Amino acid sequence: MSPVGIVGGGSFGVGLGVAIARNGGEARLWSRTERRAPEGVVATTDLSALTECELIFVCVPSMHVPAVAPEVGAHLDGRHLLVHVSRGLIGDDLQTVSRHLSANTPARRVGCLAGPLNPQVLTEAIPGGGIVGSRFPEVADAVREAIGGPEVRLYETDDVVGVEVASAMVGLLALGAGFCLESKISPAAMAVMMNRGLHEASRVGERLGGEASTFHGMAGAGDLFAAVGGDERAEVRLGRAIARNVDLEQAGREAGAYIEGVSIARRVAAFAERVDMQVPIAAAMASVLDGHTEVETALKALMLR
Amino acid sequence: MAPRFLTKPLRLPRLKPYVPEPDDPAIFWFNSERDDIVREVVRRLGERYAADRRTLEYALNEVAFYEVQRLEGQRDDEAKESIGYWKGLLRRVAKMSDDAKRDALRGISERMARDIAGNFDPRVYKFASHVTPRLLTGVMKPGALPRDLASVGLGAPALDELLTIEGDTELLKRLEKKGTLVYVPTHGSNLDSIAFGYALMRSGLAPVVYGAGKNLFTNPIISFFMHNLGAYRVDRRVRARLYKDALKTYSCVMIERGYHSLFFPGGTRSRSGMVERKLKLGLAGTAVEAFSRNQVFGIDRPVYIVPATINYALVLEAETLIEDHLKATGEARYIIEDDEFSRVDRWVSFFRKLTDTEGACVIRFGRPVDCFGNDIDDDGRSIAPGQKAVDPGSYVRRKGAPTLDPRRDAAYTRELGDTLLDRYERETVLMTTQLVAHVLFRRLVRETPGVDLFGRMRFRGEIRVPHQELLKDIGETRDRAAAIERDGGVKLSRFLRTKSPEGLLERSMRIWDGYHTRVVARHVGPNVVAEDPTLLLYYQNRLIDYAEALAGDEDQGAAREIRLLGVKL
Repeated sequence: MSPVGIVGGGSFGVGLGVAIARNGGEARLWSRTERRAPEGVVATTDLSALTECELIFVCVPSMHVPAVAPEVGAHLDGRHLLVHVSRGLIGDDLQTVSRHLSANTPARRVGCLAGPLNPQVLTEAIPGGGIVGSRFPEVADAVREAIGGPEVRLYETDDVVGVEVASAMVGLLALGAGFCLESKISPAAMAVMMNRGLHEASRVGERLGGEASTFHGMAGAGDLFAAVGGDERAEVRLGRAIARNVDLEQAGREAGAYIEGVSIARRVAAFAERVDMQVPIAAAMASVLDGHTEVETALKALMLR
Repeated sequence: MAPRFLTKPLRLPRLKPYVPEPDDPAIFWFNSERDDIVREVVRRLGERYAADRRTLEYALNEVAFYEVQRLEGQRDDEAKESIGYWKGLLRRVAKMSDDAKRDALRGISERMARDIAGNFDPRVYKFASHVTPRLLTGVMKPGALPRDLASVGLGAPALDELLTIEGDTELLKRLEKKGTLVYVPTHGSNLDSIAFGYALMRSGLAPVVYGAGKNLFTNPIISFFMHNLGAYRVDRRVRARLYKDALKTYSCVMIERGYHSLFFPGGTRSRSGMVERKLKLGLAGTAVEAFSRNQVFGIDRPVYIVPATINYALVLEAETLIEDHLKATGEARYIIEDDEFSRVDRWVSFFRKLTDTEGACVIRFGRPVDCFGNDIDDDGRSIAPGQKAVDPGSYVRRKGAPTLDPRRDAAYTRELGDTLLDRYERETVLMTTQLVAHVLFRRLVRETPGVDLFGRMRFRGEIRVPHQELLKDIGETRDRAAAIERDGGVKLSRFLRTKSPEGLLERSMRIWDGYHTRVVARHVGPNVVAEDPTLLLYYQNRLIDYAEALAGDEDQGAAREIRLLGVKL
């Protein structure tokens, strides 16, 4: 088996490295700055070390993907399988990360790993699972071979766009879940918000070329259950902080991670306007995140709508 | 004995065997390879369907069931001759021995493959390349005939003026020596395959094999040329999976063997007049499989996919197509057999109309890509994003070796579809009539706020625009279109780019007037009246994606509505 590459030394990259090593594979983790790698993982700052890897995980936040893609691409050809774990969408057209990778690197067999799978699950082998979205069946096979096992149950779908949009929108909804939890609205009202949010997400997904059913699956509902169920997600922490009127920058520090959901709300709302679609929840969240509306007011407005 | 599927088109008697020149394209050898190709198709179908009993029995049952169903509806000579065979097969299949089933499959597959396979007669090709342009010129422009006959060997002026060819045909000429070309143009009219074939001929490019719908074979003259110029027949009425697989296998074998091919990935003519927004890519998908198979067998022959757009100032079947589009979406008839294409009078008036209409059809060849969406450079190499030359063979390798994987190839095909949609958008050539129709239609939308599309279709002859105002509008819209072209967006036809607004309006009115049975627009006193909203819609649909960029401030609302016509499909 050829070594498995990882681009990006954040917690997800490291978690994948550990999972690969646990499965008996050789993991090569590239990051821009030198860092110590966990046992069984080879750390490198030289991208050419990835050429030998058939499967490469891309674990950088979506906003850094446009910068990293051509650099990584210079070492790739058609053999390589690229799988990213980002929860973001790129630019005003909401381009998915896998589309961006395939349009800006020689690799075409690309996919996305999503669902209720987090670094902790991977690192500590806590039972959990996820879903691989790719039009290419060999991508899911390769991911399963690299990290699948009794602790990591992996599903697959060829609706890669659906998985990526679901994953990004759940990030947004998890922020909303933080709002709801902090404002102490009733569980029933929160369920209404989450359910409507998921439905709204599926309509955005369909417009972008995904399938609505994907949003009921692991990448949509599955992931949201984990977030609401308390998997210590940064998005929920951030949502709670904002509902306490902490300013966005401070809240980001409190949540302790870069969160892609923040910029997505605004871009989803603008996109919907362009294609003549209603996205009340994304629009309300954009308004809150931009500081135009208070959380309480926004929730009330959504209930009265 | 398995029954025949279609009637046999005419072939010329073969007096002496044709010996191809070494430089002739693969198709000149086709007739000597045909039996071999048919055998290969039958072998592969056997491999796929006879491997296990259940698949085999199911396939036989399915084909018999669908054929009985089709023939019972048809009640013609073909039905009389063949229905007994299929009914018998349906009765016997459960009791047949495995050997008998395999024999039946082989017989049916062979019949299908022989019916699909075309013919290539170099004599017909030479005849077509020398005589057809002159004949067509005669139909279109009788006055020019003596002049043409006097200038033998100088091509066909009238037809040459009618059709403009754009794009890097020199590159294509080099590539056709290095690999297999697969042309994938947009599809808006049944004339497309004829116009495209003629464009190849005039550019000095090799003839292509092409899967022509059975409805193209109903006209005996067209049928004769199609059949003898390498077209293979696609009978959309035959619904059995075995038949669809036979078609795909045939197409795949042809590409593997280096026959340049033509597919319309839109699957069917665009009903709305819009550039394709979804591709079917059924047969075009065999390009990827053919490339993979060659790689697995160690044959390193590139496949070059050539996107192209076919752009008409006047569309032969416009009225039927837009009507079909306006019927509830999803209920559109997939096969239209009674449209303008099958009516000789419409042909004659269409071509007569185009007399003196220079550049009425623009065929634009786009930059080729490989099966995996990479650009092709001047030496025929695949260039990945980042200007990196890549080996296209690497895309079909897994764990170090080239592999066959139908699901993977299907995925590549879908990706290729996305690439083509993007290319179509950039390579579309906007025609004068489309822009003028857009300006009039935009006015209609602006003056009927709150009315839906179907409501607007009833505003016949109610929208009047003062002549001078319209000219100003046309001029400004054209200037904005030119700006989009400069930014690398859509292309403009030469007329649209250079003529005065007055010239653009007059050209459009002249082209429409007298061909379409309904008046599209007319001068009434100092005004121009938008007479037929459906045809205006049809012609302007080609540029809806640019509606907002083409509109001035006062038209932005209308332009947004027009752009959304494309989004809400």
